[in-house]
Amino acid sequence: MTAIPTIKSIARFFPVFLILSLALFASGCATAPAPGDAAAVAEYNKVNDPAEPAMRVIFEFNRTLDHAVLKPVSAAYKSAVPDLIREGIYNFLNNLRSPIVFINDILQGNPERAMQTLARFMVNTTVGFLGFNDQAAALGMPYHDEDFGQTLATWGAGEGPYLVLPILGPSNPRDTIGMAVDFFMDPINTVMSNLDGDWGIFAFKGGRAVGFRARYWDEIGDLEKTSLDYYATVRSLYRQRRNDEIRNGKPPEMVPGPSIGTKQDIPSPGVADEVSQLR
Amino acid sequence: MARRFIPTLSVFMLLAFAGLMASAPLAAARAATNEASARAAGHEAGAARFIESLSDRAIKSLTTKGITRSKRIVRFRRFFADRFAVRGIGKWILGRYWRKASKDERAEYLRLFENLMVVSYVDRFASYAGESLKLVKTVPDNATTTTVYTEIVQPAGGAAVRIDWRVGFKDNHYKIVDVIVEGTSMSNTLRSDFGSIIRQKGGSIAGLISALREKTASLK
Repeated sequence: MTAIPTIKSIARFFPVFLILSLALFASGCATAPAPGDAAAVAEYNKVNDPAEPAMRVIFEFNRTLDHAVLKPVSAAYKSAVPDLIREGIYNFLNNLRSPIVFINDILQGNPERAMQTLARFMVNTTVGFLGFNDQAAALGMPYHDEDFGQTLATWGAGEGPYLVLPILGPSNPRDTIGMAVDFFMDPINTVMSNLDGDWGIFAFKGGRAVGFRARYWDEIGDLEKTSLDYYATVRSLYRQRRNDEIRNGKPPEMVPGPSIGTKQDIPSPGVADEVSQLR
Repeated sequence: MARRFIPTLSVFMLLAFAGLMASAPLAAARAATNEASARAAGHEAGAARFIESLSDRAIKSLTTKGITRSKRIVRFRRFFADRFAVRGIGKWILGRYWRKASKDERAEYLRLFENLMVVSYVDRFASYAGESLKLVKTVPDNATTTTVYTEIVQPAGGAAVRIDWRVGFKDNHYKIVDVIVEGTSMSNTLRSDFGSIIRQKGGSIAGLISALREKTASLK
């Protein structure tokens, strides 16, 4: 029947996840600061990563897995497949996300974006040769992504504490639930499941992972190389990216950030001439 | 399966035509609103010009092919110190720990922070492949800070990358205080990164300084 083979394969993985989550609690939680230290408590709450030591273990596991599998596969993909074809595959896989993006556009009460997703699917599947060519973007309808984690956020759900999922990477309770709901709700998964069993779904997910890794090859490499604490950097970037996706790229109301505050930032006379020419 | 799938697909495609018809006027309306907000008074025009000149200057002097890495580092260091509020950013990244730092620690930290930024980003200019900066809009955040919204346009086509520049204005000078790439702020990310190191070192700035020194040395 419809999605049952998919459920079976998830059920097969379930004991693994159970064991991992038990190991997670065994390896302990972060030490909370003394309640008297208000600044430290505020910082601890803002970091919002109560199981940090355990999450770091999973993060390192994922990183080892990346270096052993995803990174070499992406490197091979990047060097063997020309840019233009890679772009085509990227577009093709994005196009296959159209149904689930459409559903989430609707669930978020955004008919305008839903219509755009539909229009893109229509144009790209036909004129765009099964989605390989993103003709719709050229017509002023760029790709946008949505998922049920974002939908939950627009309904007012908070993200909860930071989580790192084995294999799947950075997340939080809201986005983990979202990912599971999308998996069962996605018509493409149902179609693929009925056609050929589950391998098609995993090939699709795996293909997207390789595509992502190859696409952001330089950025990921730089972050890993230049950050002092890669774990904390990824945690921060994940949250910022998710919040940006939830806002659909609109700027937030209030952005905390630095300002020019001191005389040291104002250039010395030699440099001043050059800068003042700009005004 | 096929019997169920095909009607779904055709409904989807029919709706798609409606979407195609509806989206064009909406896009036009949105563009008009953006223009109106950009006309607000303040430092917007100056900040936008500052960012444009920054891009021109970077393309002209930092992306030169065939110069040595050390030469590029020298150029980029000057460029970075000129155009970025290094002290303002460095201070904000430390947050409450800035107050705990001694004068010497602050100076050493700022020096290493500048070094880290220079060696982290310098190689990006070497691999420049004709990308260009497109100004989208300029919006004031408050009395002293303006955000210049831009897009990096790839010469080969493909999706543009959103970059927002937060530009501070003080004593007749413009300085970048943050760069936000696709919603991810450089200053916020560094604050998390450095903050995590300080906490691991038991709140010690000296611990951060030694981590910074190690990292910059490894990247040189």
